[in-house]
Amino acid sequence: MDNLFVDNLSKSFILAKASSDVPIHPRQWVKAARRLVGRAVSEEAPAPKREFWALKDVSFRVQPGTVLGIIGANGAGKSTLLKILARVLVPTSGRVVGVGRLISLLELGAGFDPDVSARENIVMNAAMNGVPKAEVLRRFPAIMEFAETGEFLDTPLKHYSSGMYLRLAFSCAINMDPQILLADEILAVGDVGFQQRCLQRVKEEAERGLTVLFVSHDMEAITRVCSRVIWLNRGEVVRDGDPEEVVDEYQKATWEAADSSMSEQGRHVNRFGRILSVNLVSEAGNDIGAVPINERCSVRIRVETFVRLTITECAMDLYVGNNWVLRAHADKPRRADAGVFDVYFRIPAHFLAQTTYSMNVSLVVRRKNDERDYPLVMYKALKFMAYASDAEAVRTTTKRTAMLAPRLSWDIVTESAKAAGDDNEGEATDESVPGSEAADAAAPAEAGGQPSETAPEAAASDTTRVKA
Amino acid sequence: MLVDVRRWLFWTRTDHRASGTYKWVIQPSRPGLVGRIEEFWRYRRILYFLSYRTLRSQYEGSRFGVLWLFARPLLPILISTFIFGSLLQIPSDGVPYFIFFLAGQASWHTFERSLLFTSRGLSQNQGLLTKVYFPRVMAVFSSVTIAVAWFGAYFGLLILAAFYYLWKDHVWYLRFGPPLLLVPVVIALSLLLSIAIGLWTSVWQLRFREMRYTLRYFTRFWSYLTPVIYPMSQIPREHRWIVYANPMAPIVETFKWALLGIGEFPALPLLCAVGTTLLVLAAGLWYFSWAEASTADHL
Repeated sequence: MDNLFVDNLSKSFILAKASSDVPIHPRQWVKAARRLVGRAVSEEAPAPKREFWALKDVSFRVQPGTVLGIIGANGAGKSTLLKILARVLVPTSGRVVGVGRLISLLELGAGFDPDVSARENIVMNAAMNGVPKAEVLRRFPAIMEFAETGEFLDTPLKHYSSGMYLRLAFSCAINMDPQILLADEILAVGDVGFQQRCLQRVKEEAERGLTVLFVSHDMEAITRVCSRVIWLNRGEVVRDGDPEEVVDEYQKATWEAADSSMSEQGRHVNRFGRILSVNLVSEAGNDIGAVPINERCSVRIRVETFVRLTITECAMDLYVGNNWVLRAHADKPRRADAGVFDVYFRIPAHFLAQTTYSMNVSLVVRRKNDERDYPLVMYKALKFMAYASDAEAVRTTTKRTAMLAPRLSWDIVTESAKAAGDDNEGEATDESVPGSEAADAAAPAEAGGQPSETAPEAAASDTTRVKA
Repeated sequence: MLVDVRRWLFWTRTDHRASGTYKWVIQPSRPGLVGRIEEFWRYRRILYFLSYRTLRSQYEGSRFGVLWLFARPLLPILISTFIFGSLLQIPSDGVPYFIFFLAGQASWHTFERSLLFTSRGLSQNQGLLTKVYFPRVMAVFSSVTIAVAWFGAYFGLLILAAFYYLWKDHVWYLRFGPPLLLVPVVIALSLLLSIAIGLWTSVWQLRFREMRYTLRYFTRFWSYLTPVIYPMSQIPREHRWIVYANPMAPIVETFKWALLGIGEFPALPLLCAVGTTLLVLAAGLWYFSWAEASTADHL
């Protein structure tokens, strides 16, 4: 028997007037007054209401014990859905029927009052969720145990560290014995250890019959925890089903969307050439959207030149979110004839971390007898995810939050050994350096049937090769 | 029409507690009055919490804390007493003008404070309203506590003033006896009236910035229509009904009559005021429940 029914749920927002519509200028006042007197006076038709449908006919049913992940781009309606379930927003049409107590964690610690003690806050929070006071008092030990803030029970929350605050909020929610739990990106905050514990706890509770609605942009967490995933796009359910499949499709779609909108991103065309496409290719030469961190891959930048010129600079910037992680650039200028060719940046294995990267690509071209630079830039040219293959997963999940995770060689050198063999130290370490790996990377399949003229380059982190 | 009223009264309750399972429904049409009252009762602890929070937010961080509650009304009253009582020689029905004015202010200002704060109820609690659910009317109702605190302060001042005049003139101006029972009744009535109006103004305040200052002008104007600085006896008998059309006039007048034993007990106007209050309250509840659905969208 299902315990949450969402039937044809829709929500529309009437967009607020822009500030320019508020009468300030005398002429606007006259207009406003006229509008008040009667529409007949004003010649222009009344502006239609600007509506925005955040949710359109969303229907689904959830069985007890399901951890339902909700994914989608920003503005897809995920938060609106949860807010309606939490009753903060009222739906425009459709209805929701639920069985059992619903606790929402729309924002960890929402409704917590920083000025009063943890004890009072817990009682308060319970009241907001409709939990009787006697029941809260009974659950106090369990709450304090999970939150690990026992000795600060009577301290006002403003003296809590953010970590303690989060632990308390989560513990408070999960220990209220909910049958349905709403979690909006909660696990995006807090330290990794705490996140793991929360997810673990959520899983345990789900086995006991708790239904969880879990919104997150963290696909890794979604696939790990959820037993079912709904993909929302512009307020509609696109897919609903097995986490792996839906997440896969969602990610593919996001990349395709990034592909198609590429033409608007940056000045990637100038008089002498243009960037045609940027792709991630596997070692075998196939286009891929995600790469296992223990495999090599390359970034292929397909460039078309209209005239014979020199590429003086070639760079790629790697971002995680808004953080600029690294800039890789080519080592020396290269000449290129008019035509289509590929530029490869090689990314070694065990270099990327488990996260989603986006990439800007730039080339600077120069003509003979012309001192000026002509840049070609493509912003957000590529978005891809690096993931750990199954064998790696267990060992590396704790590094999930890092932006890069290169595997470096390391040695133990004791003081005595150092003193003894000072001159052959370089030799000893060189053997284990994996930097040479990149050099003997297998050449990807020839693209576009271009004649190739490979110039292998070995660098520590990346190599550039121009095939013209 | 009849169907509409019945729908409004009894339309689906949000929750059903039957046979141990707890089932709830969320839909565009909001619960009716009965459902709302039930819900209000279930969430009653939130009311206490919100009240405490609003009250604390007023005097938090100030050095003398709750002492301000007494200090704040005293100075304006001393000034007004000097201007109206000593300079303008406004009659005060045989009691010192200070006591007369203090009693008038106690009832009027309690109402005014309450109105200002209930109007702010929604905008003040925005942070909560966008994140957690509780019956939205509670945000309005809870703001009344500030007014209650003000009333307590005024009442304390009144008693102090009475002792002062006992020491100075050897006259005890306050009255003991059954009419005193009317004091809490009229104060409750004025608070209810402020809630009734606040149900409208709190919604407007979210949507129109201007409400902040217009409301203050409006209450200032209203206070002159109410016998606060002048006694009702100054108004010719045949014109008194005009003044009594204002529901606050019988409230203030009754308060003074019950406490000081001056003026008259306006029984009929008071009944009318009760009727007006209930009418505005019912309309306000209807308006609020209608506007509530889109309120969160506007935050």
